[in-house]
Amino acid sequence: MAAHMTNDTASGATPADPPARQADAPHLGLGRLYLRRFLRNRLAVVGVVIFVLLVLFSLFGGVFTSHAYSDADFAALTQPPSATHWFGTNQGGNDVYASAVHGLQRSLAIAVSVSALTIVVAAVIGASAAYFGGRVEKVTLAVIHFLLVVPSFLILALVSHRLAGDWRVLIVVLTVFGWMSTARVIWSVSTSLRERDYVTAAEFMGISAPRIILRHIIPNLGSLLIVNLTLGVVATVLSETALSFLGFGVQTPDVSLGTMLADGASTVTSAPWLFAFPAGLVVLLTMSMTFVGDGLRDALDPTSVTGAAGGRR
Amino acid sequence: MVRHVIRKAAGWLLMIAVATNATYFLASWFLDPRSNFKELRPVRSEAQIDRALAPYNLSPQEPLVHRWWDWFTSVVLHFDWGRSPTGVSVNGEIGYRALISGELVIIATVLSAVIGVTLAVFTASRQYGWADRISQAVSIAVFNIPTSVAALAVVFVAIWLNQNAGLHFLYVAGENSPGVEGLFPTIGDRLLHLILPTLSLTLMGYVGYHLTQRSLLLDTINADFVRTAQATGLTRSRAIRRHALRAALIPTATSVAFSIPAMFTGAVITETIFGWNGMGRYFIQTIAKNDVHGTVATAAFAATLTAIGAILADVATVFLDPRVRVN
Repeated sequence: MAAHMTNDTASGATPADPPARQADAPHLGLGRLYLRRFLRNRLAVVGVVIFVLLVLFSLFGGVFTSHAYSDADFAALTQPPSATHWFGTNQGGNDVYASAVHGLQRSLAIAVSVSALTIVVAAVIGASAAYFGGRVEKVTLAVIHFLLVVPSFLILALVSHRLAGDWRVLIVVLTVFGWMSTARVIWSVSTSLRERDYVTAAEFMGISAPRIILRHIIPNLGSLLIVNLTLGVVATVLSETALSFLGFGVQTPDVSLGTMLADGASTVTSAPWLFAFPAGLVVLLTMSMTFVGDGLRDALDPTSVTGAAGGRR
Repeated sequence: MVRHVIRKAAGWLLMIAVATNATYFLASWFLDPRSNFKELRPVRSEAQIDRALAPYNLSPQEPLVHRWWDWFTSVVLHFDWGRSPTGVSVNGEIGYRALISGELVIIATVLSAVIGVTLAVFTASRQYGWADRISQAVSIAVFNIPTSVAALAVVFVAIWLNQNAGLHFLYVAGENSPGVEGLFPTIGDRLLHLILPTLSLTLMGYVGYHLTQRSLLLDTINADFVRTAQATGLTRSRAIRRHALRAALIPTATSVAFSIPAMFTGAVITETIFGWNGMGRYFIQTIAKNDVHGTVATAAFAATLTAIGAILADVATVFLDPRVRVN
C-alpha cells in the first residue's frame, strides 16, 4: 500500500513538479538502489535469467532446426525424441521442438501484450475512479464487482469461440475481461493519493482532471504497476493455456503452449513427450515471472521487509 | 440475521438475473446455430434452416428481442430453459449435471478454504521456520502450474499408484462405474470417483487461501490485542486461533465469493480431463454445437454457485466481524 512513497521521496520538496523533472541525479541513485535491492534477491535473478533464456529460445530457437512447426513429417508420426526431432513428433508428424518454439513465442506475445494493455486500462480506470470519487467511483466499482463475480471465463470462451483462432483477437478479448481485479487494487491505492498535497496543488493551479490523473496520480503508482505487469504475465499465461486447452483460445493450425498441452493431454501415458515439453515451458515461464515480480516488489517497495532487510530476518 | 441474509440474497438474485440475460444476448450474437446445418447433406436452403430452428426459438428471422422475451417468460413462468438446436431439452440435460458439478465445486471450495486456512495458521505461527518455507515454496509452485497440467499430474500419479501400490479405488475417468446397483454401493462408488477430481480442484484452490491468509495473519499476529489475549493467560496458539485468526479471517471469507468463478473454470478443465459429464463439459459441448440455451443455462448455474458462495461468505462475516451489526 506504500507503493507511492518511493517517488515521493525522489521529488522531495517540490511535489507539484511534473514527473519528468524527477529524472535528475537523485533518481539515478534511486535506480541504482532498486537494482541493488533486486540483485540481492537470488530467486529474482534466477527468474530474470530464465525469462531472458525463454525469450531468446522463442525468438532464435527456430534457427537450430530445419523443421517448421507447420511441416508434417509423415515418415515419423508420434516418434519419441531423437536426433532429427529433438523433442519428438506428434500424431500429425509435426516437430515438437519447432512447435514449442512457435508456441512459446505465441504464448509470450499474448501474455506480454495482454498484461501491458491490462495495466494501462486498469490504471486509467482505477485512478480515474479514485480521483473523481462520488458517483463515478460508485458506478465503476459496481461494474468491477459485477464483472468479477460473473463467470467471465464462460463469456471469454463464448466470445473467443467465434472470434478467435486469431491470436490478435484473443489479446483484445483477454484484456477486455481481465482488467478488473488490477483496477480494483489500483483504485484502492489511488484513494490515498487523491488526498495528497501535490494533487491539491495541481488542482489549485487549474490543471485539468485527465492531466492530473495521467501526470500526477499514475506516475506515483509506478512500482505497483510494474509489479502487476509481471504478475499479469503469469495470470495471462495461465488463462491463455486454459482457454487454448479447451479449444477456445488459439486454434489450429496456429500453435500455442495451450494447444500443445491439449494435444499432449490425451496421450500422456503413451507419448509423454508431447505433454512434458510444453508443460515444462509453461511452468518455467510462470515461475520465472513470479520470481521476478516478487523481486521487483521487494526492490521497489521500501516497506517490504524481505528485500530491504536482505536477510536480516 | 434472517432479514440480512434475505436482503443479500435478493441482491444476488438480481445479479444472477442480469448476468444470465446478458449472457443470453452475448450467446445469441456469438453463437450461430445455422452453421450446424452447413455441413449437412443434402444441402439445406437458408429458409429450410430457419424453419428447422424456429420451433426451438432460435430462428434468426425472429427479432432478437422477441426471442429473448419468449425465452425469458418460459424461464420465469415454467422454469423451462429452452431447447438445443437439435431439440433436446436443456432442463433434461442440466438436472443431473448440475448436481455432480455443484458437488465437485462446493466440496473443493470448502476443502480449499479449510486446508488453506489451516495451513496458513500453522505456518504463520512458525514464520521462517522450515515448515513455513517448504509449504510456501510448494504453494508458490502449485500456484504457477496450469490447472490442466496439475490435473494430469494427479492422473499420472494415480495411475502409477494403481499399478505399483496395488490400489484399485482411484478412478481417473467418469463419475461412476457402470453396473453398480443398490443405494450404498452407488454412493460409495460415486464418492470414490469424486476423489481425484476433487483433489485436483482443491490443489488449485487451496493455494490462494494459504498465501493470502498467511500474510493477513502475519499482519495481525503481533498486534496488541493478541498480546493482550496472551497476557490474560491464553496459550499462544489459542490466542492466535481465537483472536488473531478471527480478525484475519474476515477478508478471506469475503474472497470466497470471488474464488468461485475461478473454481468453476477449474471444474471445466478438471471435468474435461477426468471425463465427467458435468456442467463444465456441457458448457464446452454447447458452445461447440452453437447451443444458445444450453450455454445460457450453464452461465446461470455458475452465477448461482457464485451467489451461494457469496451468501455463505456474508453469513460467515456476520459471525466473525463484531462491527457488522444485523438486526
